Amino acid sequence: MNENINIQTRVIIATVLSLLVFVGYDYFFMPKPKNMVEQNSSVKTALNEVKKEPKTATPSHTEKSTTNVAQNSQTTDKSLSNVIATVETSNATIEFDALGRISQVYLKDKQYRTEEGKELKLFNSPKIPKPLEIRFSDPRLNELAFKTPYTVSISKVNIGKEKPKELLFTQNLDGLIVKKRVVIYPDHHYDVTVKMSDSKSYFISPGFRPDLRIDNYTVHGVMVEESDGTLTIIDDGDAKGTESFRKARIAVAFDRYYATALYDFKNGMDVVINKDTEENPILFIKVEENDKTLHGYIGPKEYKILHSIHPELTKIIEFGWFTFIAAPMFKVLMWLHNFIPNWGWTIVALTILIRILLYPLTYKGMVSMHKLKELTPKIKEIQQKYKGDPQKMNMHMMELYKKHKANPLGGCLPMLLQIPVFFAIYRVLLNAIELKGAEWILWIHDLSVMDPYYVLPILMGASMWLHQMVTPNNFTDPMQEKIFKWLPVIFTFFFVTFPAGLVLYWLTNNIFSIAQQLIINKMLEKHKKAE
Amino acid sequence: MTRKILSELLKFYQKYLTLLGYGSCRYYPTCSEFAKWQIKTNPSILKAIYSSILRILRCNQLFEGGIDYPKISYKQFPKIYNSCQTHNIEYWYIPESNGFRVVKNIYLKG
Repeated sequence: MNENINIQTRVIIATVLSLLVFVGYDYFFMPKPKNMVEQNSSVKTALNEVKKEPKTATPSHTEKSTTNVAQNSQTTDKSLSNVIATVETSNATIEFDALGRISQVYLKDKQYRTEEGKELKLFNSPKIPKPLEIRFSDPRLNELAFKTPYTVSISKVNIGKEKPKELLFTQNLDGLIVKKRVVIYPDHHYDVTVKMSDSKSYFISPGFRPDLRIDNYTVHGVMVEESDGTLTIIDDGDAKGTESFRKARIAVAFDRYYATALYDFKNGMDVVINKDTEENPILFIKVEENDKTLHGYIGPKEYKILHSIHPELTKIIEFGWFTFIAAPMFKVLMWLHNFIPNWGWTIVALTILIRILLYPLTYKGMVSMHKLKELTPKIKEIQQKYKGDPQKMNMHMMELYKKHKANPLGGCLPMLLQIPVFFAIYRVLLNAIELKGAEWILWIHDLSVMDPYYVLPILMGASMWLHQMVTPNNFTDPMQEKIFKWLPVIFTFFFVTFPAGLVLYWLTNNIFSIAQQLIINKMLEKHKKAE
Repeated sequence: MTRKILSELLKFYQKYLTLLGYGSCRYYPTCSEFAKWQIKTNPSILKAIYSSILRILRCNQLFEGGIDYPKISYKQFPKIYNSCQTHNIEYWYIPESNGFRVVKNIYLKG
């Protein structure tokens, strides 16, 4: 019989549904994790293959290369990968190699360091292109460009907290002078302007994505914001071929937490996406005009930094296909975080906030519970009469509820609404770098990864079981009842690998539901006594 | 084809996913059952999906709930050739102003 089933029970269904959705999603759509070593070796073999091929393109190839980006670009000369300039900002070290490309970025801030206190390196594989790599449409010129080192105006730059500083890279390609001016700002965003003595069409890349945090839970690859604001995401391994976007606003290559982007909100950029041998997408900006300035950012996808550079740049924080709900959820969390310094308590506060928003519905349910008690004898009568015919029993029960305007059931909508909330929090915990290494209390040192001692999932399972204990339930089907009883156990195992923050959310939610159910139970008891 | 897939999905939902909230729906027939009937009987599949979504939206504590049978509009019925098979009737169509209420024959086995 269906008395006293409140929001919580529906929430449980919601969980099962959402679990199925994202377990299924992970299984079917997420790129499988790749061994880094494997990747590197395959890149090397790919490069060797490239080297073996004759570098001079066939005539049909030449035609193609005016629209496509020249592919053979890796050089054999070791001296060209030497670092020729080092830029120090207050929170990063940026290194440029002899081809005028950003070859490495070290993050100095404490939250980005490894467990041993080492600075994080954004680029750990020899994948090309590197950020700010230039490729010419003319294959002959391109080949030459990859053999000719740049000279730099200044080899060591220290950028304080206030002023941007400029580096000028110069390359002489048989009389064609290429001047690449890079202005680096303290927050490590930069402007890049390429000026040539003779106008040539070329491609410049924000680089292959950082490869620090690659996992199969989150999206990594490239994203383009088109002129009309449409976001196109191409996951690693999913690049189909050459795709181009006219007047795009942002071109970004990213992993879970870090990104390298080129953007131009004013004039737009012509973006071309190519693929490498592993079908990973590679970004290029096609430039035909001389002396064009592009803006760039390289570093963590941290909301506050991005927002201070340009509010629209926050679009590169990507929560997967669920962004439309996860992004507002993230904003609410950040707003709460303004008042609560601890991210764990912020999640608890969010749970309370959601329950307050749902309170009008809960309250209505509680009020109708009062009326229901008066109907108890009639309900019992129906139950007796239609034993073993649940469909008919339900029908008569509904008739009774409607007649007395008292319906104890919460409804399907509140249940379904829980799914997006749960999923959004899951995505935020996975993708927001702000929550990386966020502590709660005692043993929880990182809410974005699983609880190392399984305490939270077990508490969660226990709270679920307790909630089942206090919630009256009547099953007509013994099989269903059995599965229902085992659910806390199943859920505990499900939640074991989930980010601790998500388990915390669910645990808090359960505790509140138990409290609410106890209040309802007490209310009903009082009525019984009054009779 | 679409109907078949949708009703199979609903059956799957009813069998496994609805388990925990057994009886959380405020209506008879339940939202999933409502959707099943709609998909089976409504001549327009889009209307069936539309009214099922509306039903789910109505299924919260701000609405009264209770008995609420699906309603469909039929302009022309398919002909019934064998009038003797009354015991095989699956759904009753009860005429109403511009349409029919659909009531399932719950005594039909299978």
